[in-house]
Parts: sequence; structure tokens; C-alpha cells
Amino acid sequence: MLVFDHVSKCFGDLRAVDDLSFELEAGEVFGLLGPNGAGKTTAINMAVGLLEPDEGVVRFADEAFDRNPREAENRRSLGLAPQSIALYEQISGADNLRFFGRLHGLRGSDLEERVAACLDFADLTDVRKKVVSKYSGGMQRRLNLAVAIIHDPELVLLDEPTVGVDPQSRNAIFERVEQLRDAGKQVVYTTHYMEEAQRLCDRVAIIDRGRLMALDTVPALIAAHGGPGNLVVRTGDGESRHETTDPLATLADLQARQTVDHFQYLPPDLETVFLNLTGRALRD
Amino acid sequence: MNKIVAMAAKDIHILFRDKLGFFFTIFFPLMMAIFFGAMFAGLSRGPASIPIALVDADRTAGSARFVGRLETAGGLAIERIPGDQALEQVRRGQTAVLVTLRPGFGAALDNPFVATPEVEMSVDPTQFAAAGMVRGVLLEAAGAELQEFMSDPSRMSVTNEQNRRLIEEFSPASEARDDLLNVLDQIPRIPVLIDEAGLGSVTTGATGGFGPPLEIEQTQVQAQRRGPTNSYATSFAQAMLWTLIGGSVSFSMSIAIERSRGTLMRLLVAPITARQLLAAKGLACLGATLFTSSALITLGITVFDVTPTSYPLLALALLCGSICFCGIMMVLSVIGRTEQAAAGVGWGIALPFTMLGGGMVPLFLMPEWMQTLGNISPMKWTLMAYEGAIWRGFTLSEMLLPCAVLVAIGVVAFSIGATRLRWDTG
Repeated sequence: MLVFDHVSKCFGDLRAVDDLSFELEAGEVFGLLGPNGAGKTTAINMAVGLLEPDEGVVRFADEAFDRNPREAENRRSLGLAPQSIALYEQISGADNLRFFGRLHGLRGSDLEERVAACLDFADLTDVRKKVVSKYSGGMQRRLNLAVAIIHDPELVLLDEPTVGVDPQSRNAIFERVEQLRDAGKQVVYTTHYMEEAQRLCDRVAIIDRGRLMALDTVPALIAAHGGPGNLVVRTGDGESRHETTDPLATLADLQARQTVDHFQYLPPDLETVFLNLTGRALRD
Repeated sequence: MNKIVAMAAKDIHILFRDKLGFFFTIFFPLMMAIFFGAMFAGLSRGPASIPIALVDADRTAGSARFVGRLETAGGLAIERIPGDQALEQVRRGQTAVLVTLRPGFGAALDNPFVATPEVEMSVDPTQFAAAGMVRGVLLEAAGAELQEFMSDPSRMSVTNEQNRRLIEEFSPASEARDDLLNVLDQIPRIPVLIDEAGLGSVTTGATGGFGPPLEIEQTQVQAQRRGPTNSYATSFAQAMLWTLIGGSVSFSMSIAIERSRGTLMRLLVAPITARQLLAAKGLACLGATLFTSSALITLGITVFDVTPTSYPLLALALLCGSICFCGIMMVLSVIGRTEQAAAGVGWGIALPFTMLGGGMVPLFLMPEWMQTLGNISPMKWTLMAYEGAIWRGFTLSEMLLPCAVLVAIGVVAFSIGATRLRWDTG
């Protein structure tokens, strides 16, 4: 499993990651949320060995030993789907998979089996011979994800995997992520879309200014940091919004005073939690 | 109108914010201005002296006088060395032209009625412009000699007396012989007659009705060979250099493309070391430039009758040239972070270095400091290695210097580029 143990990283005076600690569990989709500049990308880069922590340790903890992702051989355990479409557009989808498979040491029938499996996973078998530049945005996104798992890694890091895709492709990607979880993989998922995190992630870490603000399951985070929900009512005087932790009592109280034509209860969600923890000020 | 001005202002603003645009709009023209300005500044004082080797095979007072005239004429840096050695020097590219004063040169110079002095010019085939200038200096010197002769009745009288004795000794008595002797008697009077006819100012500097004051036989210096040689031998060496330049710029762009599209990051997180990644990039560049330059010279050999003097040395030159430009590729790739920047920087650096290396403008036209600076140009050493193997007929020991320089530049440049590239994915 991936372990961040009191990890810090500075760039000049900027402390991009500050004493960050967490551990992934097997078969878990782990959400990494934070506003722009929170330190998500720095954390991901340390997880994949591109950056070395200034303090603390990043490792793949194993039953037998700990492995440092800075060592090339240890990176066999991880797969990365970068936010940008990191593919060779001039060659086919199958050839992209073959190339990256070879880099991870796959050869012969093993390689071809994995290529076929990944094409199937990304639902690209029919277009496997087409050059990638001819793929739609959604197809490229799915291939971007498939390349990350060509070598069947234990840990998959998905950096904003649904940016710029249509709802159908987004849904297809969700299904693939769930398949990975079902296959027992650890998945680190960074996103700006709270509903994605809420749907997919077993646990969510919210970081801001490099520090871990909260880490728990989504329901637990909402319970701890969501605050009151909102009861929206429409009466003869118009529509009004009422913060409440007991919507039934609040509704009864309102009805006692005037006729409520319509009401809707909006419980706190992950976005509320996010805004409560990181504030509403714009981050540039 | 406001909208048009706003859009134009935006485009100008963007141009000056774009480093590449700024480079090509301001910096590159400035570099060109400095380069050509420095060159033309040298030309306005007269171009730097053209290095020539001179062999006086005549060794007479007349030939010595002519050499002295050349030395004081300016424009030539004359080195007097033995013939074989001089020819070798031209073949190696260290001297542009070898001028040989043939036996009989002095006698012909002192007796223009009987013979024309002859010189042989052995020219480096890549230095035709320099050869043209040398030819001009030689003709000018010979013309001055003839003019002096024609203006000096006493010299003409001495020569006439010699010629008279020759005619009387070897020609049987006849009407034609008598006519010839009569003409000879009149020759010393020519300057006097010209003056009396009031043509003194008109004929000043003229050489009379004689032909060219100097007979110049020009040959190209190449290694002794069995097969034919032709101008493609030199043009293909140049073309192979441009192949290397184009290949290195293209590969530097490929790294920039990998960086901008994210595949470089993907490669760096694969279970391969940065050293392996760099080795692969270097190998690809080496293979591609080696292949293209080899394909080009193969075409030259099979279709254009280019016949290298040594195939093993040609292989060595091809390999060393490719190693050098692989290193250059690596440096270019870290300087130009985007595709456009890599291309711009690549050509922006390649062109001045090619100029400094003599790839566009003959080196002798440049001031001495620029010629010295040209020694840092990898293009100069690449051309030397290619030409050495194709037509200069370099030996292995002669080839070692350019090849060692090329490998050294390649290794140093690759190391610098590799150090900078290692984790640079942003």
C-alpha cells in the first residue's frame, strides 16, 4: 500500500506539502481533494517518484519490505494516468499499449494478453488499429487510463481523469474505476468534481496549503464538517432557505406559522465539507 | 476602428510576451546584424589575408622579384614551403591555394615578347572564392611587372639584344628574319613614340598589344585516387552536415513534444532509470542521423560518382559527426522547452554556428577573431571530417583531430543536456 509518512516538500519559500501523512488500503479508491495550489500534484509527483520529499518518507509498504518509488524497479507497482492525454498520437491505441507494456517488462504472449485486456477494459478493441489522433476525446481518456494499468499495477494514480469529457464517457470512466476497485487495486483519484469523489471514493483526504485538513469516509466527513443542511420552502411570500440540523422540526415550526406550498431538504454534501474546510475565498 | 486597433495591439502584446517571437523578432536579427557587421567591418579594411602556400620552382631573380611584389601587394598571407608539403597543406584544408611559379617563370617575366610567365594554382575545391581573389592578385602583380618593363627602354633594349642574338643564331637569313629584326629595333622606341603621339596619359597602365600577362593553370587539390572525382564530392559533404543539423533539431523538438504532451512524465514514472531514458533518446538520434547521413552519401556514391578516399574513415567520420550532434540535440532540447521554442532555438543556434564554421560564408572573408571563434563551431569540424574521408584523403592520424573534437563536443553537450533534462517534465 502507498504510505505518506510525515512528508513535506518545499519549493524555495513555498511549503507545497506540509507534514502529510496517510496510508492507502487494498481495494480502496482514495480521493485527494484540494483547491488549486493545495499540493495535490506535488503529492502525486512524490508518490510516483518524480520528486523526492524534503522530510518524511513515501513508500510502498509491503508485507515483506518497504519500497521507495524513487527506485525505478519499484515503480512497477504503480500506474499513472496524467491529467493531460499522455499518448503517442501518431501510432495506434494497441501500439501505445504495447510500447508502455514493454517498458514495464512485458513480452510475447503476456504482452499481447495484457494489450487485449486493456483494450477491452477501455472498450477500444474495435478501434485498436486506428491511430490515436483519430480517437474522440472520450476514447483518448479511456486509453489514457488503460495505459496506466497495462502492467497490472497494485496502485493506480488518476489525476483528474474526467476533465473535458462528455457525461457518457465520464460514466464509462467511473465504471472502469469501480472495476479496478473490485479487482483489489488501490486507486488514488484527484478531482475537482465533488460529486465524482462522493460517488467513487471510499475515503477522501482534503488538503489545503499542503496540509491535511481532513481524512475519512464521505459520510463521516459530512457528519463531522458538513454543518447544517438547508430546508428550502415556498410559501405565499415566496421562497426562503433555512439552515437546520432537524428538518422535520423546522418544517413543522414553519407550517405552524404559514402555509407551506412546497419544500425541499438539501442535506450537507462533500462540496459543503470542502468549502467549510478550505474556505470560500478564490484560489488562483 | 477601435476594435481593429484593440486586436492589433493584442497581437503585438502577445508577440513581445512570447520569448520565441521575441527571439526571432529582435534577438536573431541583432545577431545577424552583429555577425555581418563584424564581417563587413573586416572587409572594409580589406578581407583578412588569404593563406596561400607558394613554391618558387624557377628560383631566378625574376621569380624572386615577383614573389616580393606579391608579398608587398597585401591580401595574401604567403607561406613558402616545399612543394609536397604545400600540397598536403592545401589538401588538409589548412591553406586555400598553392601557387607554384613554374621553371622559366623569371625568363618569361623579363622577356614578354617571347613567352608568358606560367603559374600553377592548386586550389582547395571548397575555396573557389578565395582562389578567384588569389588569381586577381597574381594577374595584378604580373600586369604591374609588364607595365614596368614597357616603361623602361633600357630593360627593353637589353631584352631586344638577347632576342636579336637568338634570332641571328637560330634563324637562317631571309626576308622574314630581316623584318623581325627591324621590328625589334623599333620596340625600345615605343614609349618615346607614344609620348610623341600625345598618348602618354591614355596608355598609362596598359600592357600594349600583348596577351594576358600571366598564364594560370588551375587545378583542384584532392587526394590521389583511381576513381573519378567531381563537384558532388564537396556538395554531398555539405549536405550531410545539414542532415545532421536537421536531425538534431528534429529530435530536440521530439523531446519538447514529449514534455508538452505528458508522455515524458509517463516515461519517467515507468520502471526505467533516467539514464536508460536518455540513452534511448541518444540512441534514437544517433541511429537516425547516422542512417540519414549514410543514406545520403550512399546516394552520392551510387548515383553521383562520389568516391570516398577511405570507407573506414568515412564510417568513423559519420559516427563521430552523429555523436556530436546527438549531444547538441540534448542541449537544444533543454533550452527549448516547447516544440516551437526547440525548433526556433535549434535553428537560431545552428545558423550562426554554421556561418562561423564557414558553412555559408567563406572563412577568409571574416575578421581574424571570427575565424578563431569558428574553431568552436562543430559544423567546421564535421565538414573537415567528412571532407577528409570523402576527397581530402586524410590518413587515420589526420582524421583523429576532427573526430576527437566532435566526440568531445558530443559528450560534453550530452552531459550538460542530460543533467538538465533528468527530472524536467514541467
